[in-house]
Amino acid sequence: MANINWRTINIDALDPESSYNFDLSTLTPAVQPVSTADVQTLTGQIRQLLRGGDASGALQGALENAPYGADEQGKAAHLSVVTECLNQIRQAEMTPLLQRMYKAEGGSELCDTLMKYLYKGMSQGTDTPTRNHAGAKSMTPQATGGFSQAGGRNFGGTEGGGQAMSVFLSWHEKLVEMVGPGSIVRVMSDRRTV
Amino acid sequence: MSQSLRPYLSCVRSTLTAALSLSNFASQAAERHNVPEIEAASSPELLLNPLTVSRNAEERVLVEPSVNSVRVSIRIKQADEIEHILVHKFTRFLTQRAEAFFILRRKAVPGYDISFLITNLHTEEMLKHKLVDFIIEFMEEVDKEISEMKLFLNARARFVAESFLTPFD
Repeated sequence: MANINWRTINIDALDPESSYNFDLSTLTPAVQPVSTADVQTLTGQIRQLLRGGDASGALQGALENAPYGADEQGKAAHLSVVTECLNQIRQAEMTPLLQRMYKAEGGSELCDTLMKYLYKGMSQGTDTPTRNHAGAKSMTPQATGGFSQAGGRNFGGTEGGGQAMSVFLSWHEKLVEMVGPGSIVRVMSDRRTV
Repeated sequence: MSQSLRPYLSCVRSTLTAALSLSNFASQAAERHNVPEIEAASSPELLLNPLTVSRNAEERVLVEPSVNSVRVSIRIKQADEIEHILVHKFTRFLTQRAEAFFILRRKAVPGYDISFLITNLHTEEMLKHKLVDFIIEFMEEVDKEISEMKLFLNARARFVAESFLTPFD
């Protein structure tokens, strides 16, 4: 006990009544848990639609059945199928498709879900820690000696992903044009994450 | 403006516009305190989902909203080690003068080069669209500035090397 610095103990965490221990599940709408196997059968069906050439139907189906209750693996599988759908649809078809989707019954909810997937897609590939000293190409004689404050960073070979991001960005632009910034606010405040 | 920069900046603009709806919110943990909740993280229900906007793997913006503050972190494009050093020096220069910029955070969030912390006090005394404009303009300018500095650096290095080696010619 003596070697613990008691000044660094967060006493709020020990108090069940404190706001630090607020139960977030009371804010989350009830979502039924979805198993990864279910998500996989669903993504299989959506891929079948995609192969049939019905990209807009596939996208709609994927957004209607977003697995809020799935675990990380299931969510990642669903994200990849949504990304495939988005990639399949050409630039010129985006606006009419979005308009049709928005006008239909429950369309604004679908647009919010699409917005969630756009942000989720853009945050992909950023989770990996990129500041690693060992991975940096050693062009300088001393990798860490000269600029100890400037962390290492690997250069080159990072251009991949730019194409995928530009798809997300153009979808985002079209979507915001139609539904406005309210959709982004709902993405931020909705506790059901995709 | 390049073809891929425009949708990137417009995406950042709409994200920031949506995120900058802040209200005055006193701390729930300590009486008569008012702290930016995104930094204090004292109650989980006040933090909203963070949003990432990325142009490619090396250029992105992280927007972390909360009830009374928003943290915006920018990762600046760095193509090679010279640009890396330039960006480091440039952001260090700015963050050391953080009081002059009001919304600049003194330390960048790990993984990013420069961070801004906008609280409800800032949105109350400054215009929201001007704040968004400032960040967008910063992002536009910083790329230009860095590549300009790199050109100057190379030109200067070439000149120095030439005049240094003239006597041995």
